[in-house]
Amino acid sequence: MLNLIRKEIVLQKKTLMIMLPLLFVFLFEGISSIWIGVIFCIPLIMQSFSIEERSSIQLLLNSLPYTRKEIVSSKYLGAFVFTFFILTTISIGNLIIYGEITQWKQLLFIFCSVALFISFAFPFSYQFKSQYIMTAFAILFVLYLIVINKFISNLNDRLREGVRIVLSYDNTLLYAGVLLTVVVLSFFSWMLSIRIYSRKVL
Amino acid sequence: MENVIELRNVNKAFNGFELKDVSFSVKKGFVTGFIGGNGVGKSTTIKLIMNLLQPDHGEVSIFGLDYKKHEKEIKQRIGFVFDQNVFYENLTLLEMRNIIKPVYRKWDDALFHSYVERFKLPLKKKLSTFSKGMVMKASLTMALSHHAELSIMDEPTSGLDPIFRRELLDILHDLMQNGERTIFFSTHITADLDRIADYITFIHNGRHIFTKEFYTIEEDYAIVKGEVGLLDRDTEKEFVGIRKFNHGFEALTAYKQRTQNIFGDTVILEKPTLEDIMLYTQKGINRYVESHT
Amino acid sequence: MQIIISNTSKEPIYEQIYVQIKKQVLTNELQAGAALPSMRELAKDLGISVITTKRAYEELEKTGFIYSVVGKGSFVSEQNKEMILERKMKVIEEQLMAAIQNSKEIGIELPELKELLTMLYMEDV
Repeated sequence: MLNLIRKEIVLQKKTLMIMLPLLFVFLFEGISSIWIGVIFCIPLIMQSFSIEERSSIQLLLNSLPYTRKEIVSSKYLGAFVFTFFILTTISIGNLIIYGEITQWKQLLFIFCSVALFISFAFPFSYQFKSQYIMTAFAILFVLYLIVINKFISNLNDRLREGVRIVLSYDNTLLYAGVLLTVVVLSFFSWMLSIRIYSRKVL
Repeated sequence: MENVIELRNVNKAFNGFELKDVSFSVKKGFVTGFIGGNGVGKSTTIKLIMNLLQPDHGEVSIFGLDYKKHEKEIKQRIGFVFDQNVFYENLTLLEMRNIIKPVYRKWDDALFHSYVERFKLPLKKKLSTFSKGMVMKASLTMALSHHAELSIMDEPTSGLDPIFRRELLDILHDLMQNGERTIFFSTHITADLDRIADYITFIHNGRHIFTKEFYTIEEDYAIVKGEVGLLDRDTEKEFVGIRKFNHGFEALTAYKQRTQNIFGDTVILEKPTLEDIMLYTQKGINRYVESHT
Repeated sequence: MQIIISNTSKEPIYEQIYVQIKKQVLTNELQAGAALPSMRELAKDLGISVITTKRAYEELEKTGFIYSVVGKGSFVSEQNKEMILERKMKVIEEQLMAAIQNSKEIGIELPELKELLTMLYMEDV
């Protein structure tokens, strides 16, 4: 199991090396930490999926002494490892560049967004193909642009405002509730993925 | 004798293809050659043996163990070679080893490097630059470096030049010296089997036709040549398949002795090759289909 | 131990091995107690399957030319003199029977045949 997670990191070593400096540049440019967190985590995680989509790689993984349960679980755990890695990097970056400690609420926000994404994207990718998720994202992005340009030109401001309001809530119980929901959701997603993958014909 | 692989009444249907009631076993300490044409169920059978597919009915047991309970234990003891590149193409052979090495309890680095040297494989070049032959050698290296008791190889000699094919057979002979290892390999280059296979397992159209000691094949089967006039409704039943020419017929019998008794000196009997057996079995089944439509 | 096998021969390969080892035992080229290579070694040397050499060794064992010790390998048996004599006698009998048959076919009587045998026997020495 540990070997599978290690494999995830080995495979993404080069991507990580490119991403790190880029992440610092983004931070330096003063782009919001939340935005950076999300746009770095999600491609990284989906990349680890698409590397292994070739059927021959599935042949390899399943022929090695692993169970299918472990193969799926390592993808989830790997995704969380990547997320924590990005979160840590952002925190350190903020500390170095601005000398400030990143708000824990911001980190939690990133974590929850990514976990929410994983919860839907992973079972979907196991059932179909990860490239469909990417396509779906591209379409969403285009829609988003259209909406901004045609209908609600201040959508960006509204979103930012929304996030700001959410972050300004001081209710710890609320955060705990959100976190719990996300964790439960992730857990069900994980179980669902195992189910899907166990039945998959290689 | 101990069986390393056992299939009992295995049925599997998918993608419009069906394995029907396949039962056979693979003996410990021997090499079993697995033959059959394209698309007759060889890869499916290998996938069932590797637990990449699960049977609809029937049982597969490896080392006497069941995959449901002992999946990891079984796979620890298997070395596998597929007829396609199963490695991450963006990695080098060395990086690939780093991924596979910690997985196996009995990984032997010295052995790994000895094969790398013997096969003249570059350690630090990306696997995507490897030729088909080199990929096969890399696969063999991985499969042979963890003292696997059972080697399962799907077309390991495809893409290899004749010189290396011969060398590979030498390597396999070396592996077999202590009598503890078992090799199961599929191939359509049946000439390779003459030199190494102890048993032949033959499947056709999703059915298991036979598993025999290599030498009994030439005791049971024979190519029969004679004049077409000898053939009639009754005598034709004697054969697995028949090819008729202007100047005579050629057929395959699965009962050499009986055929000899029936035809006596009027026909010539010859030793069949495995290819002959595959060819006539195919012909015979076609004939059977024709006569029923 | 020299063994040469032919892939084109009509004789099965295990038979070829059997015949050649047997001959070497009978002619004392392989002496009693001599160790034979293991089946797996021999298979490797000859580039043939293990089951083929196994079959040849089993036949040799059955006919008493070699014996096996578990974990040690196969050895040439002590050739039983009486057995050899008996076997030879049988061969002589068969050959003489053939001669008699042929004689009868062309009408050679027993005294004439005896004479011929005596003459040939003396000549050969």
